[in-house]
Amino acid sequence: MTDMKKQRIGFTCAYTPIAIVDAAGFVPYRVLPVTDVPDQAGRILHDNLCPHVKRVLDRALENDLPEDLTGMIFMNSCDAMRRLADAWMTVRPEDHVMILDLPTTGGRTDIAFFAKELERLSHTLAAWSGNPIAADQIARSVEQYNQIADNIRTLNEFLAQGKLKGSGKRLQELINQATSAPFADSLTLLDAEIRNNQLNPARQNGIPVFLFGNVMPDPDFFSLIEDCGVQIVGNDFCTSTRMFENLPCTDKETLFTEISGQLLNKPPCARTFDPARPGKIADDVIQRAKSLGAQGIIGHSLKFCDPYLARLPMVRDAVQGTDIPLLLLEGDCTLRSFGQQRTRIEAFVEMLR
Amino acid sequence: MMKQYFDDLVNGIEAKLKEDPGSMSPRKIYALEVAKIGRRLYGGEERVAWCGVTAPFDLLAAMGITSCFVEFIGAMLASTGMVSEFLAEAEQAGFAGDTCAYHKSVLGAARKGLMPVPDFLIATSCPCTGGLAVMETLARHFQKDLFVLNIPQEETQQSVQYLADQIRDMVNFVSNHTGEALSEDRLREAIAHTNKAREIMVDVYKMAMNVPSPANGRLLGNFGIVVALLLGTKAAVDVATVYRDSFKEMLEKGISGIPDERIRLLWIQNRIQFKNPLIDILETQYNASIVSDELNDITWDPIDPDDPYIGLARRAISIPFNGQGSRRIKHLQQMAKDYKIDGAINPCHWGCRQGSGARGLISKGLGEVGVPVLNLEVDCIDSRNFAEGQLKTRLEAFTEMLDHRSSPWEA
Ligand code: SF4
Ligand code: SF4
Repeated sequence: MTDMKKQRIGFTCAYTPIAIVDAAGFVPYRVLPVTDVPDQAGRILHDNLCPHVKRVLDRALENDLPEDLTGMIFMNSCDAMRRLADAWMTVRPEDHVMILDLPTTGGRTDIAFFAKELERLSHTLAAWSGNPIAADQIARSVEQYNQIADNIRTLNEFLAQGKLKGSGKRLQELINQATSAPFADSLTLLDAEIRNNQLNPARQNGIPVFLFGNVMPDPDFFSLIEDCGVQIVGNDFCTSTRMFENLPCTDKETLFTEISGQLLNKPPCARTFDPARPGKIADDVIQRAKSLGAQGIIGHSLKFCDPYLARLPMVRDAVQGTDIPLLLLEGDCTLRSFGQQRTRIEAFVEMLR
Repeated sequence: MMKQYFDDLVNGIEAKLKEDPGSMSPRKIYALEVAKIGRRLYGGEERVAWCGVTAPFDLLAAMGITSCFVEFIGAMLASTGMVSEFLAEAEQAGFAGDTCAYHKSVLGAARKGLMPVPDFLIATSCPCTGGLAVMETLARHFQKDLFVLNIPQEETQQSVQYLADQIRDMVNFVSNHTGEALSEDRLREAIAHTNKAREIMVDVYKMAMNVPSPANGRLLGNFGIVVALLLGTKAAVDVATVYRDSFKEMLEKGISGIPDERIRLLWIQNRIQFKNPLIDILETQYNASIVSDELNDITWDPIDPDDPYIGLARRAISIPFNGQGSRRIKHLQQMAKDYKIDGAINPCHWGCRQGSGARGLISKGLGEVGVPVLNLEVDCIDSRNFAEGQLKTRLEAFTEMLDHRSSPWEA
């Protein structure tokens, strides 16, 4: 790339291998569904698509995006995401766009296929930047992003222990920052945050609750939950901890296969599953909540999100056989409807006391 | 209840045909063969697999499996007017009102014990995310083994090979359950049936393109998607043949699907599956004929019997709902041209992100070739909120508008 300033490549899904984007000399930038622009995506898509993709498209329609964003990588994660990719290409035809075909399962053939997709990504990014990407560079970027993943994990532990100043809201701010800023800036920020908090005393700030769901990037959501008397002991959203997973890079020859295997078999979002254990998401939620000592579980999903909406009843059924109560909330990426939900959360927490 | 329903349907049609062979119409023969699948699914005597829409039904037939995509049951429940209680059951169990009612009704039916327990399940990632989720849910519900076919989005050498490999793995999965290896001879025979039916269907669709068309709003409704269930069997060839013979005769005698066809319509995605008067209104009041459905097309090459897995993989990848929206739109534009379509109707089935999600782009794409699209807001399965009056008014306004403009295909 000839420009001194790095261009940004947008992405919208936690399965995006951002280390490869970084290795190509771009800044990976998560286009979050957070914006003040008017709702208008329903004109192109349909109102029954999830607010995540609609708000992202609203941003494209109103050009509420960084000026140096020159391309997008979409994952074939769900119907809504596919339709977003179609719409994006119509709304911003000048952008580079690539859609990665992400299998829904992580078996042998799937890993091999997705490894080829990652290789295709690497070639495509090289074509966009005009510079080839060496395996060394990818390995280096993977290691860098593994440091970010380690840091986020540490901060998440601080949160669970009640040590993190600014609590859940602060963690989400940091994650949002780490998904949109150049790697070095993110690492500096996260390192400092760990230094500033590690000596804080552990505190019990409320009833321990495990949170899970899909897209909730608004930091205020977490403080609102905490204000209801909750201590977040675990937090599993596409826009939070699930965004950063350590990737393996032991052998440069088989790098893509290693990354593929890890991405397809990492703690999944509802769209990826193990056919040998149908409904495993339900068992995983319970198991994680138990291992974190949670007294309750709050699930938050977006309206019209098929992967989650279709699987929540399995979670609901499975939880019934345990002593951990579950509260399911449905939202639209904003806190607009939080007034009504607050009452439900308060009642839930009251019941857990 | 469903067993009785399919038994009655088969017996009823057969009795009628025996009594009055002259009443044999292609739609009846097609309905009979489809009802026979239903009877086998519910008969309790055969090995059954619940599947996703793009499963290789011919290959499964060659392995002695009666297989069916689960959405078929949703459509059946809707067409018999029984669907509401199953939707209510699913909603009661927490399945959101906003999800696809094809799936919700099936989940409701499974919870009420109205879906036969399958031997195993084969999910497909195409056409939709909801379809995959319902298969996972059913596998957990029935506690039966699940196999997933990830249908790649685009056709490349690598993606075709990936799917072909998965289909091979699927054969092993099935064999492990049945204890029987795939017979090469039976597979060859199935592929021969598929290719023969394909060849005849190409003719049928070509004839349907005639102006005026021998097709109408009912004859080929849902045909492309449902006939896939018969592939690999002689029934597929028989059904395709009666359509071809009937259309041929109609064309020779100058008989059209509706009298005085004036407006030619294309139906996008799936039909409204419960009884409703819309088609009647179109045909009788406006001489408007639905001459094709989006999926009434052959998008795949004949399958090479010496290397069937590649052909089966290509076929699954080729369906218009797969891949980028631009591919689907191109296909619709081609259909509009081939059928000399005046206007298209898109029901925008509530709950279908895959299909309705492309609504704006489809309207734009067909608009570019001069074909206006009427976007309705309907749930094709759930009749509970069917706004008949409102829909009639919109259809009337649309057909009147079409009546006053010349065909986009006039020279
Ligand atoms: S997984 Fe759910 S929230 Fe995410 S894009 Fe798909 S439908 Fe939307
Ligand atoms: S209507 Fe859409 S969501 Fe429903 S089964 Fe068909 S493709 Fe899937």
